Parts: sequence; C-alpha cells; structure tokens
Amino acid sequence: MLREFELDLPGDLQETLTRLPGGTPLAGGTNLLVDLRARREEAKRLVWLGNIEAFRDIKIDKAHVAIGGGTTVGDILRNSAMIDAAPSLVGAARVFGGQMVRNQATVAGNVCSGSPAADTVPPLLSLDAEICLASSTGVRSVPIDSFYSGFKKNQRKQDELITGLSWSVPGPSTANLFYKLARRKGDAITVVGVAVTVTRDGDRCSDARIALGAVAPTVFRAKDAEAMLTDQPLTEELIDEAARAAMAQSNPIDDIRASADYRRHTVHMLTRRLIGQAWRSLAGKEADK
Amino acid sequence: MTDQTTARHTEANVVLRQVGKPLERTDAEGKATGRTRYAGDYTMPGMLHAKVLRSDIASGKLKRLDASKARALPGVTAILTAEDLPDRLAATDMPGQTGQKRAATDRQILVREIIRHHGEPLALIAAETPAIADKAHDLIEYEIEPLPGVYETSAALQAGAPVVTEPDNIVGEHKIRKGDTEKGFAEADHIIENTFHTQFIEHAFLEPEVGLAWVDENGVINIRMSTQVIEHFRFIADAMGVPHNKVRILGAMVGGGFGGKEDITVELYLALLAQATRRPVRLAYTREDSFVGHGKRHPFDITHKTGVTKDGKITALEVTIRADSGAYVFLSPYVLLYCAVAAPGPYRIDNVKIDSKAIATNNMYTSAFRGFGAAQACVAYEAQMDEIAKAISIDRFELRRHNFMRTGDKTATGQTVESAIWSDKCMTQALAALGEPTNAEGPVKVGRGVATYQQSYGRITWFHDTAEAWVGIEVDGTVIVRSGVTDIGAGQASALGQIAAELLGVGLDDVVVYNSDSAVTPLAGTTTATRALYMTGRAAHKASEILRGRLVEFAASELGVRPEDVDLANGQAFVIDNPESAMSLKDLAARGASEGLQRSELAMFRAPFTDPIDEETGQGPVFPDFTYGCHAVEVAVDTETGEVTVLKSVGAHDIGQAINPQAVEGQIEGGALMGQGYALSEELIYQEGKLVSPSFSEYLIPTSMDMPEIKSIILESRSGLGPFGAKGIGEPSLTPVAPAIANAIADAIGTRVFDLPITPEKIVRALREADENA
Repeated sequence: MLREFELDLPGDLQETLTRLPGGTPLAGGTNLLVDLRARREEAKRLVWLGNIEAFRDIKIDKAHVAIGGGTTVGDILRNSAMIDAAPSLVGAARVFGGQMVRNQATVAGNVCSGSPAADTVPPLLSLDAEICLASSTGVRSVPIDSFYSGFKKNQRKQDELITGLSWSVPGPSTANLFYKLARRKGDAITVVGVAVTVTRDGDRCSDARIALGAVAPTVFRAKDAEAMLTDQPLTEELIDEAARAAMAQSNPIDDIRASADYRRHTVHMLTRRLIGQAWRSLAGKEADK
Repeated sequence: MTDQTTARHTEANVVLRQVGKPLERTDAEGKATGRTRYAGDYTMPGMLHAKVLRSDIASGKLKRLDASKARALPGVTAILTAEDLPDRLAATDMPGQTGQKRAATDRQILVREIIRHHGEPLALIAAETPAIADKAHDLIEYEIEPLPGVYETSAALQAGAPVVTEPDNIVGEHKIRKGDTEKGFAEADHIIENTFHTQFIEHAFLEPEVGLAWVDENGVINIRMSTQVIEHFRFIADAMGVPHNKVRILGAMVGGGFGGKEDITVELYLALLAQATRRPVRLAYTREDSFVGHGKRHPFDITHKTGVTKDGKITALEVTIRADSGAYVFLSPYVLLYCAVAAPGPYRIDNVKIDSKAIATNNMYTSAFRGFGAAQACVAYEAQMDEIAKAISIDRFELRRHNFMRTGDKTATGQTVESAIWSDKCMTQALAALGEPTNAEGPVKVGRGVATYQQSYGRITWFHDTAEAWVGIEVDGTVIVRSGVTDIGAGQASALGQIAAELLGVGLDDVVVYNSDSAVTPLAGTTTATRALYMTGRAAHKASEILRGRLVEFAASELGVRPEDVDLANGQAFVIDNPESAMSLKDLAARGASEGLQRSELAMFRAPFTDPIDEETGQGPVFPDFTYGCHAVEVAVDTETGEVTVLKSVGAHDIGQAINPQAVEGQIEGGALMGQGYALSEELIYQEGKLVSPSFSEYLIPTSMDMPEIKSIILESRSGLGPFGAKGIGEPSLTPVAPAIANAIADAIGTRVFDLPITPEKIVRALREADENA
C-alpha cells in the first residue's frame, strides 16, 4: 500500500518553486507513485506540478523546439510538427511504456529520473537538447550532455525544477533515428536504446551523435565512435568500426532482462544499423539536390 | 484480432436452432457495461480487511514470531499464527481424490516451524481498514534461521540433498510400457535424441484472488470468492474441523483462472478469520500477493529418444520426464501423468517406454495450469518431430502425416480413441491459412512452424467424474438452469443456457442460468480439465431432454397427435407436418402446471468410469476422450538482435461441435496469446527459491503490439462425448502454440533453442554456436 505523504498543491510556478525546498516534485507520478507504493521511495512531501500555467506548451518554429516541463510523452506524439522537429524523440515516444503511461508521464520527469533505460534521453542527447532549470533564486540552462553524473544522479539541485527543454530542429541534411530493443514490443523496459544523428555534407559525414541507453550507469554519448565518423565518407567498414567503438565504450550490467554480453553485441548491431540507415537516407536527399 | 470470416466445417448437416450460433452470451452485457459483480465487488456492513504475512525466504526455520505489537494496534481485530490454529493440514489434492502420497504431503496452513518456499504464510491479519491491516503486517516481528534448500530437480535427487518431501523428494512417478523399444530401435535407420526444457510461468489472470466470508445465523461459514472449484468447501471444512454442510462457497463471475484458481487460495484464510472474529472478512490479494500466493506451471525437462526408418516411420520412442513440483505436492502427480500420457503426441508408435518423476524442491509449489503437463509434453514432442525431419532430410509435415494416429487407433496406454482423429485435416487447413510466405530481407529471416497435439478433455476416468444440472420451465414459458459450474470467463454458464434453449425450443434470451453455489446449485464439479462444457453440458442436455420429453408428450395430447409428431421451437410446441397446429410454450407450461406436470428435472451425467491403469506398464484407459488440432505460425527473426515477430498465427481445431463459435474463437485467440508468451517472453525467475520477477514489468505477457491477427478455424466432426458431439477447446487451444512458434523460429534461423522462453538473447547465442560449429 502507498506510503503516507503530504501533498502540496501550489497554484503557479513561483509558488511551486518556493515549495520545492525539502519537497519532491510530482508530475505524472509514473515512477514516483509506483516507488512509494513499493517502498523504494521515502518522499514525505510531494509538490504537485499540475497547476503551473502553460506548462505543457510546445513551441516549434523553423529552427527551434521548446517544450514545457509538463509536456507528456503523449503530447509529443500528438504534435504533428514533432515528427520533423525531433524524429528520434517521436520514435521513442511511440514505444514508451503503454498508452496510459504515455498520457501521464512527462518528458522532464523521464529526464529527471536519471534511469539509464529512460527512453526519451538518448533522443534528447542525440539532439543536443538544453535543459532549463529554475529555482526561487534563478534560472539556468544545462546541456543534457553534462546533466548526468552517475547512476540516477544529475545536476538538478533539490530545489530546482525542469521548466523546459529545447533543441534545434534538424536540417534537411541531417537524419535522426532511435531504436528501442526490449523483450517485447509494447510496454517494456529497454534492454538497449540507441539514438543517432548523422549530418551529411556531400560525400562526407560532417557531424554525428550516438547516444546509448541501458548500457552504462547513465545514458551517454559514444564520443569515440562519433569522432571516427566526423568528416569522413561513411563506408560500411567505417560504420562497423564506429559501431564497435560504441560497443567498447558501453559498460552494461547483467540483469534479469539481458546479459551484459548480449547488450554489448546489440549495441554493435543496432549502432551499425542505425548509422547505415541514416547515412543511406541522406544519400537520397543529396541526389535530389 | 478476430478474423470475422471463421471457417466452419461440419460433417453432417444437422439442423440446430440455438447451438452452433454466435449468440450474444448471457454474460456479455453485464461485462460490457460493468454491471457484472465479481467477488471483489461484494461488501458487507461491519466487514474486516485481511492480509497475509509471508516468508520472504524459501528455506528456513521460524525461530520466533511475535505479534504482540500488531495485536496492540488500535483497529486490529485478530492475528492468527500457527499457535492459534488446530494442528491440521490443508489438502492439496483434487476434491474426491487421494493423491499418491497424500497424507505425507498436505500443506501446513501457517508455518509452525519449517519454511519450505518463498511466500509460505506465517500469519493472518484482520483489521478494521486495509491500511491498519498493512500497518499490523509491518509490526509482526519474526526471526527466520535460513536452512540449506534445494532448487534444482537434479540436486534434489542426489544422496544427502535436503529433504523437502519425505523420504526422497520424489512426489510422483509414472511409467508407460508398450511393445518392445529395443526391437523398435533395432528396426530404426536413425536414432535422434534431444532434451527440451520448459520454464516456470504465471497464470496472470486479470483478477487476483479475492473473497468475502461470514458466519451466518445457522453457523454456516459462507465464502463468496473467485475460484474455479466451489467444491473445496469440503477441504475447508476438514481443515477447520467442522461438518461439510457448515461451509458454503458461493462463486461469482471469475476474472480468469487458467488452473491458478483450481487449488485452495484465499478461502481457508477467510474461513479461519471469519470464524475467529465472527465478523465478515474480506481478503483481496494485490498483484504482488498473487505472484507469490499461488502455485505455478511446472518446469519440465523432457528427453526424447526416437527411432525412425529412413522413410520416416517412427519405430520406437523413449521419453524421460522430470518435473519440478516445488515445495508441496498439490496436483503434481496428476500433471506428471498427463505429461507421460501425452508424451508420444498424436502419433501411432508401436514401441514406447516412458519414465517420469515429479520432484520436490524449495521452489514455489507447482500445480494446475492450462494444458496440465500435456502442454509441456507438446513443447517436446513437436520440436522433436521437426528435429527428426531435419536429421533425416524429410518434409516435416509429411513426417507427421506418415505417423499420425487415425480414427480408431489406440493411444500409447492402449486406449482406443472412439472419436474422430482429424489431425491431418487440421494441419492442412492451418498451413493453407498461412497463405503466401512473407518476404525476408537482410538480417531478418522468415520461418514457419506447426504443432499438432492430442489433448484430453474430461478428468482422469478412474476419478469417476460426475456433474449435475437442474432445468425447469416457468409457467410463463421461460427457462431456468441451475448448476454448480463456475464460470471463469469462457461462457461456461451461457453454454448451458444455449443447450437448454436448443432442446426446449426457446431463445437464449428466455433462459436464466444460476451457477456456482455449493449449497444451492446442484454440484457440477470443477471448471478444470476442459471438462465444464463436456460434463455440465451433458448434465444440462440430459435434464433438458427429459423435460422436453414431458412437454412434448403433454403437447401431443393437447394437440391430439403422437409425441413423435411434435417439435419445440420459437417458443412453441407445434405439429411437424402441420406447423399451424401449435400452442405457445407459455400456454403449455401453464396448462401443464394446472395438471400437475413436473416442469423441472435434476440430472446427473457420469463420465466413463474405469479402474486405474496398471502401475508397471501404464496400460489402460486414462481419459474419456481427446481433442486434436493444429496451430501454425509464421515468424520473422532478426538474426542480429534475436528479436522475434510473430507475423501470422492460425489455430485449426476439431472441437466436435461448437456450442457458441464466438466463444470458441475467444478460446483460440486467448490460447494463441498465452502460448506466444510461453514461447517467447514469460518466465518466473527464482533465485535460491525467491521470486525475483514479481511484477508485470518483469513478467512479460504479450501486449496488443506483440500479437498478430489470429485466425480461428473451427472443424466439427460431431464425434465428441460432449453435448451435440462437442469436444473441448479450453486447454487444447493453448497446447500447440508454443511449439509451433519454436518450430517456426528454428525454421527461420536453421538452428534451435531447446529451452523456453526463446528470448532474443538465446537466439543470438544459438546462432553464434551454430556459426562456431559450422
């Protein structure tokens, strides 16, 4: 049974920020309430974020995307402009939990939970997202690449709230993909998550991002692999070599879902596959130019 | 998921007016509108809330249990520990039966000293609110000294192993001997041997165990609960030390059973607490309680050694079977027997030698689960058929056709099957329904597989199974059926209505069925063993037919014709050759009532009764009859990641006669889903006997995103022992699914994973090993 807790219901953002010290923000509750019931979580006072005005707003223009801290995973799916503004994030949203969880869980909450298997994080890393954090004393912005510091540890201070996330819309020469490998197709915890971004300039890859989920204490970018691809023509051999580098940078564990060995193997396979798909999809666009 | 164009194949064109039609079931509207009351929906004034304290380790000695702090908590009404209970055991057997080692293997109600499995109950709590019961649960102090346990069947058989069940951990053994296997192997050109392993799985019914008990003004302990077996009232009475007529179990619509509500679950705890407090008590398991609170499906290791000629005739079969029965015997000896009898599959093999053992360990106890040992047998024998075909380079479907039993053949235990054996027809139609093969691309390989089967319906014939039903016609011409059958969601009650409607010439709308009350409705036995329609349906058929005879005779005299000239249909009795000459059933019933016509009948149906089979040879009849059929699938396997997608799934079964084809499709679709989970993703993981996957985030049932459209093909030989020639489909629909998927995967990737579930990781490993061996 659910532990007893106090529930704060602040009316707006300012009031929320003043209540946060010593409290735990409650958005969708798809982790927090489950953990409270399972007694994995000790929070005594929850601060409800549901009254913050325009907290679920999504703003997309030609170059930029900004989503409010209350944006749910379902909101991502229901916004038709998102498919071009964040293809990998839409891909992750489609296979995120089940329908009821998607309607309730927020992207910011998923980012904040810090689970290495959090499905929205590899896409946001592949998109170089910025995290906007606010407290009663001020506002700051942190690149998601420097947000995580260890297993379920991140740069958010206890009295801070993620008020939004933003990133640049990928250009026409950029492909951005995500794949979730899990033990079943619906409502499953990720075994390996891979998000890639490839930007093509003529016959070369000008920029690459490879973000890996569930294969290390945090979601991380395989920067060795990214560097191998940057400013190179992507041959099958090079892609395979980079995918092996991504595998080498992974540090997965054995758990009841999969062994570390299998996770490493599939990082290799999926990174190779996604980079190849991204590169080939851009070849068509290059030819159209 | 339903394919609306269900194919139906009927041998004889018999006119049926109600039976065989996809009528809206009597339980449909209530479920669709949410008005149906399940056991958890019942409350009573002054009701207490119960909770069970369980051991969190699998093998140990309870050194100390102190409930004083919990008892002192305001709002706590009762805490029961072993010290408060009479020193009785709880039966783990079937009603009316005596297991192989029953006296030694019954279960302690609460732990007195020795803890034998994770989740074994230590104390019962009743409190004014669920929250107080929870607090009391946390306030009970106890100390457990861990003891060495045994968690593998092979270890449990070794000398010096911890003894879970005296004297040697063997809780069941069965042998089957037919012909001469030495001679058979000598005649073989090839001998193929493989071992197959199946896993622990969970029933995962939608409705966790729940009930409400109270002691009434007559001192009768009433228990309203979710169960497949209301006749456990006798075991409850025995465990409590009260006469049988002082315990009554009332069912409600059940939210799924699959064998998991076949044993005693919450009813004994409810009865004890209601008796101790003299207040109504409600106990509702959480999902976590349910995961550790009831028995699981037996893991099996099954080794097949098959002798076969070069043209594919099977000449000899040796099967060795080991089942993990966990810490208490429950139904293990019977599950084992089902597996042994099923082990040769639907094949005619003249020389057979089968040895089987059920072995106690400190894992969670295992018991009934849809398919009951025969499903595990099918996982092995159908995989073995494909392995034989591969080894001797022969078409795997032709290999099956070459060896299928035909109508009139005998089983391995020497039982002549009286009904039609349509394995070939079912397989041919299932394969045809797969249609054009799906194209494979890149690392994704596509494969197909089938599994055929022989699965009993009805209980073991030396149990001397019976069922009763009462059918009556009211003075306004409406019909009432009463039968103790529990409805676990497959339309067990509605089917009785459809049968009575057929015979009494009314519509299903004109029938009301009362069921599932051990004191008031005639006892009909369990809803298990694919027996409910067969047994209760025959009882309702018999009662309806007798009543019909009386009505026809009375109508004949009223209409001035012979009884054989009268038929009942559309709410009327009419002269067959002159339908204008008719009277309404309403008038007929009213007239009959005023003349003292008996307008009701209580009938008993008896299954075939036999003596037990010979212990040394296993020869003799075991079951009333068998269902035959086939499941066929097409899968895509990603050879880089090992991911499997089931593309097509077809069940083709000869069910004799569909009473309600839509309900049959429901069984085939449900079986396809459950079997897919069994094949690919479902597994209860125990570490040192402790369940480490006690939630649906780790225990992975297929979701709608994992399932393809399922095609159901219903064949009707009208040759079964059930009403109107029906056979059973509840368990058979599940049995062939997992081996069909396993075979399709093996077909796709060219190598086999021998242990379920076939996870992506195991596929990658098997491919790697095949690559290294090549």
